[in-house]
Amino acid sequence: MGGTLKAAEQSLLGGQEALAPAPEFVASARRAGRASFERSGLPTTREEDWRFTSLAPLAAHAFGPADPAEPVDADELDRAAGRPFGPRLVVVNGRFRGDLSTAHGMPGGVHAASLQHAVAATPARVEGRLGRVLAAEGRPFAALNAAFLGDGAFVHVGPDARGGAVELVFVTTGRRAPVAVHPRVLLVADPGGQAAVVETYVALGDHPVLTNAVTEAWLGDGARIDHYQVQDQPGTAFHLATVAVEQGKGATLSTHSTALGAALSRSEVLVRLAGEGAEAHLSGLYMADGQRVVDNHSVIEHAVPQGTSREAFKGILDGASRGVFAGRIRVLEGAAKTDAHQLNSNLLLSRDAVVDTMPQLEIYTDDVKAGHGGTVGELDRDALFYLRSRGVAADAARALLIYAFAREMVERVRVPALRDRLGRLVASRLPGGTAILEAA
Amino acid sequence: MSRKPDGTPLLEVRGLRAAIDGKEILKGLDLTVHAGEVHAIMGPNGSGKSTLAGVLAGRDRAQVTGGTATLDGRDLLALPPEERAVAGLFLGFQYPVEIPGVGNLYFLRTALNAQRKARGEEELDAVDFLGLAKEKMKLVEMDPAFMNRGVNEGFSGGEKKRNEVLQMAVLEPRLSILDEIDSGLDIDALRVVARGVDALRSPDRATVLVTHYQRLLEYIVPDRIHVMAAGRIVHSGGRELALELEQKGYAWVEP
Repeated sequence: MGGTLKAAEQSLLGGQEALAPAPEFVASARRAGRASFERSGLPTTREEDWRFTSLAPLAAHAFGPADPAEPVDADELDRAAGRPFGPRLVVVNGRFRGDLSTAHGMPGGVHAASLQHAVAATPARVEGRLGRVLAAEGRPFAALNAAFLGDGAFVHVGPDARGGAVELVFVTTGRRAPVAVHPRVLLVADPGGQAAVVETYVALGDHPVLTNAVTEAWLGDGARIDHYQVQDQPGTAFHLATVAVEQGKGATLSTHSTALGAALSRSEVLVRLAGEGAEAHLSGLYMADGQRVVDNHSVIEHAVPQGTSREAFKGILDGASRGVFAGRIRVLEGAAKTDAHQLNSNLLLSRDAVVDTMPQLEIYTDDVKAGHGGTVGELDRDALFYLRSRGVAADAARALLIYAFAREMVERVRVPALRDRLGRLVASRLPGGTAILEAA
Repeated sequence: MSRKPDGTPLLEVRGLRAAIDGKEILKGLDLTVHAGEVHAIMGPNGSGKSTLAGVLAGRDRAQVTGGTATLDGRDLLALPPEERAVAGLFLGFQYPVEIPGVGNLYFLRTALNAQRKARGEEELDAVDFLGLAKEKMKLVEMDPAFMNRGVNEGFSGGEKKRNEVLQMAVLEPRLSILDEIDSGLDIDALRVVARGVDALRSPDRATVLVTHYQRLLEYIVPDRIHVMAAGRIVHSGGRELALELEQKGYAWVEP
């Protein structure tokens, strides 16, 4: 029997006392986060940003705190998250796990460590940034994450970093009871620094888990960061990810999300182009079936002139699943010569699948190029017949066309090993499986 | 002309009726094609030529409301489109579909191997297939660079038709139905299409050309010509019928 929203909120706040002692700037962020969440509670569908995404299924569980020392063996981890393709930091139930991590092959100029360690060892590097990019107020899940602020990953991209990828793997384990974890990533790229950061979210165990992740990224002038999130969790999981980025002058961000699993998966990407000439590329692929819900929210704020933003999301929805895409582009006063475009395309594979797609342009200045487009469609019947008329069976023809739709989003990935992995993950969800990858 | 000893036609259509959105398009059509033959079906726009081609290949745009169609004695109408292909039927599309994201070469190999597998034959590996595809590309004068694109992606009208003939040449169907394969083609492309059809001429295969113009028939000489009007075949004859149509137009065949 499901509990009430209040009971769910209370249980989500439990276990805070077990957090490790932290310096005052972290402790005060925790207090502020808790206070904010207590005021707001969990969002309901009465709120505009949550209109199409009900949290009732989440509130039906009493999520308790997770054991950060939970045993996880390396094979089990590789099965869930794929084999490492380079340096990999592993965070289990919100805590960095040195026993599962490897720094071997860390790209030059890039430093990646446990956030807790960075807070203790190099507070000066962290203090000015942590909790500064993302304002938790008015964002209940970000506030809840702040209430548990303590560990996760800290990635520092130095000015001399010239590419290469770091992988961060977040494991949530629900082996004995439903648990909630709130991992945090802080990514700081110095002016001119370049690197790719891959966040992979998986879950182990049979109980429902809630992963409430927050990533804050600060890109100095001219920095180039490729950021990826991969959510591949069991159909019982709940996943909320908030990514907040602030970009300096001429900084280039590319952030790409792939949502493959979970009962409810919501990604919020909040990007602020704070320096002139910054460029932001947001993209993603979401796939859902059954009764699952997958939600992509984004807000791109052009605060200064000559910013460019490009947004392209694709969804594939089967069964009675529901997709949501809400993309807001805000061009503030004075942000002249902004160039912003947004695209959302959806493939509905069943009559019961639903997608709500909402582009929102808020433009407060002249001399701006801004546009949006999108499609919601079924598989092309003519294409399906064409393939079948050549002898390709109906199922295989459908799979070919679905993969062809998704392929663009897989190919955007610039980390080759990740691109291959995502291709396999997408194809393995189609009839006929990975044989289809030869379609390239 | 060779016939099966038992005289079974390769394609036999009897009293075929089909409707689109409740409107009857095919109104009791009869057609017999024996192995080794090339037939042409001509007729004015709206006479039902393309509907006939689509119905035989299994396109679900039209609903079959009566009659029969058999390929080698097998009930075609009971089979899904892919099984008709496996049985040896090929439809050359009037408007070949662009499918970005599915590689041309991969598609062709998938199709060939799906057919071979369904017939209990060994599948071709990538190397053997490439050899076969290259040979057939020469036949239709197709630039190999096109094979790395998506299916028909960004192809001109003529390139799409060449690609249809290439697919036909690789799949080696028993019965090819080419729907307006000549529309929009220049003389060079017509020659290529004709060469593709000729390459498949054999005692156990047949081709049905569906066309509005007799120009194609200067390059491919059919054994039989049928004139279609208002959902039926109203005249059948030899090549002289094409010339008659050329001179008189279709007005005299209208019911």
